Amino acid sequence: MSQAKINPLRQYVRWFDGREKLPHFFCSGCGAGQVLNYYIQALDKLGMDPNRMMHIGGVGCTARIPVYISTDMMHGVHGRTLAWATGIKLAKPELPVVVFAGDGDLASIGGNHFIHAARRNLDVTVVCVNNLNFAMTGGQVAPTTPLKAHTMTTPYGNAEPRFDLVELAIASGATHVERWTTSRHAQCAAAMQRALTHKGFSLIEIISQCPTHYGRYALRTGDPVKLMEWIDSQTVTQKQAEGMSAEELDGKLVLGEFLRVERPVFAGTTFA
Amino acid sequence: MKYPLQISLCGFGGQGIVLSSVILGTAVVTKGGLYAVQTQSYGSEARGGQCQAELIVDERPVASPVSDDKDILVCMFQDAYNRYVPTVKKDGMLVIDPDLVTNPDRNIACTYAVPATEMAVELGNRMAANMVMLGFLSESTGILKLDDLKDVVADHVSERFRELNMKAIDAGAGFAKDNGFYRRQAG
Amino acid sequence: MADASKDRVLSGVHFMLGNYAAVEGALSAGCTFFAGYPITPANEISERMSQRLPRLGGAFVQGEDELASIYACAGASLAGAKAMTATASAGYNYMQEGLGYCYTIEAPVVVLDVQRARGENFASQADVMQMRWGASGDFEAIVVCPSSVQELYDYTIWAFNLAEEYRNPVIIMSETTIALMRERLDIPPADQIAVVNRRYTALPPEQYLPFKADRFGCPDAAPLGEGYHTIYSLNPHDEKGSIDWDPDEFDRLYKRVCGKIYENRHKICRTEPYLLDDAEYALVAYGSEARVAKEAARLAREEGIKVGVLKLCNVWPVPVEPILEVCKHVGKVFTVEMNMGKYCVEVERIAGGKCETGRITKNRGQVHTPAEILSALREGIR
Repeated sequence: MSQAKINPLRQYVRWFDGREKLPHFFCSGCGAGQVLNYYIQALDKLGMDPNRMMHIGGVGCTARIPVYISTDMMHGVHGRTLAWATGIKLAKPELPVVVFAGDGDLASIGGNHFIHAARRNLDVTVVCVNNLNFAMTGGQVAPTTPLKAHTMTTPYGNAEPRFDLVELAIASGATHVERWTTSRHAQCAAAMQRALTHKGFSLIEIISQCPTHYGRYALRTGDPVKLMEWIDSQTVTQKQAEGMSAEELDGKLVLGEFLRVERPVFAGTTFA
Repeated sequence: MKYPLQISLCGFGGQGIVLSSVILGTAVVTKGGLYAVQTQSYGSEARGGQCQAELIVDERPVASPVSDDKDILVCMFQDAYNRYVPTVKKDGMLVIDPDLVTNPDRNIACTYAVPATEMAVELGNRMAANMVMLGFLSESTGILKLDDLKDVVADHVSERFRELNMKAIDAGAGFAKDNGFYRRQAG
Repeated sequence: MADASKDRVLSGVHFMLGNYAAVEGALSAGCTFFAGYPITPANEISERMSQRLPRLGGAFVQGEDELASIYACAGASLAGAKAMTATASAGYNYMQEGLGYCYTIEAPVVVLDVQRARGENFASQADVMQMRWGASGDFEAIVVCPSSVQELYDYTIWAFNLAEEYRNPVIIMSETTIALMRERLDIPPADQIAVVNRRYTALPPEQYLPFKADRFGCPDAAPLGEGYHTIYSLNPHDEKGSIDWDPDEFDRLYKRVCGKIYENRHKICRTEPYLLDDAEYALVAYGSEARVAKEAARLAREEGIKVGVLKLCNVWPVPVEPILEVCKHVGKVFTVEMNMGKYCVEVERIAGGKCETGRITKNRGQVHTPAEILSALREGIR
């Protein structure tokens, strides 16, 4: 055996047949791999063992993230991540539950479960990798796709206004809400640490690049660096936003920690 | 007693028809050790605010939950009478509240007019009319003991109405006794 | 502990609503989790559960829809709970998606469906095929069909036990007729109720294979969050739980998941013969129709027609052998059901020409009366 120095974070990677379940299946340049990296850094900083946690992915690219983490996970049904999580948290409240959901999974098919889990303040962490489209199915429009953007099902430009997931989560009753981009490594990892230690419903939305679909169809480039630069041009921090007019902010997504408050967490119907 | 015994109570919503059948069923099962099936129809199924509850009592588990012919029919509303009186057996027993069934046009040999609502009003609350009827049924048919009936009623209705309900049951039983209204068993 | 079981099991004689009896059956079987969405005529189940479960240390949630309810059951089940949901026909449609997941990852859950006619509280058995074929994909369903309030209690316990034994969803096929009926219910003492609990693996995580079992066997479960790092995916998976599209792994998975039910049907299925010993004709019936069929058979014998009844306590997996045995010994078998004619096709398939077959079916929102069955029987043997 070689004694070459290996990345200590690889201890968190799932093993099958005595081998690491790597390389992952994400496209080259996809942001999901970065999010996986930030997430296991957050776990490592907190000393949390994913083997003692539950991870949930629905359907989509993001849903595959926990496949590469050494943990129990539920996977493979579209949009129902938070319904599963509700059952787990009521049956085993002490088990930490983290949901990885794409924007389609969370805001489109799973939108109803999302607002109700937030309303109840279910004690889960939701990491939403928002790549602005349905990527695994081939680049169709999502509820998060910017207005006028071209996708496989909006060939003449998206006619629908998009959801702001941060506003949706806050309005629904979430108690910890943040939004960052894949280009902001440190902020993402720190946000995830806050989420993992928060008692209640946390949403960490990460705007991510999809070179294979959204990049090529909407932005006419499959270059991940150019896409990350484009995302940076479309986002501003809360501090930057303070000095901007409504016109200047139009179409921009604001980044930051928007809310972190304490509220009783959901425990089902209780008899006291 | 000849089993299975098919009892139907009908009237309009709010008279406590369903509750009466539940109380009757609970008493014969939990106190009398018999078997019983209780079903009901109301709302859109019954139409016109009518309400009907059925009870089949037997010594063995009841085979069919539906019965075509009733041994006993209690009617507390003319429209319900019109609809359900054809289901009474020729040798069956019919009990009507004469103030609410004003045109009892079918000739059933064993027909009793029990002014349950009027008696309940005299006791202070017309809502106790169903309890008068239960007291009457208990005494006139012997399908359950008056004390058993009272025990079950005490479990099923709020403390506030307990005294009224007990008086109503006694009044119904007394009415049967005073008038010599006892069901003549066929055969 | 004695006190806890006293609160959980209401031993004694009751005059109880069918929906309530199902709740008591679930609690007697050890149900610890319930999620449901309002729908008539199943509401009394949620209502009583919301009152009873929290006092017994269980969890109740009213889901935001039927999907939330069935998936919450899946999550709770993996987390170790004995989970149940209840709905009625229209709501059962929505639950097919979640049931498909539970079949595939082999999560024990109990789903009670009060069959009703479209949109109203009328009696029906028209979902008997959906019970079996509702979800997409390959699976085998276990569907028990109580015919009385007592059986709603007894079969709910049976359903929980089958779910744990075979790691499969089990459907309780209730009907408006019995759900909204009050009837005598005898609840035995707690120590006389046989309860099956989940088999957990004795192996350490490094040796455990989550979906490994004999050819038609059921894998041992692993607790969540204790290092077994298992993927519970709807996608085809190998014995390790790794998502695997290999044709041989596909084949092995689905043959086992279906085979663990179908090939064990002699252990799962229950039927009850009634007056069949010397019968020249037979009625095959399930649910509330079975009790009416028995009464019809009794009346027919008063007329000299030698007819018996095979009551099916479960419709899926099909009790093939008991039905075949009846077909071999009578001249004609009639299927009695409250729909336009569904399960009769199964019976006719099994009869396979060994005897004549007939159908006594109706969809009028009401259970057959014994007289109706008798008259159809007279007609059918003329």
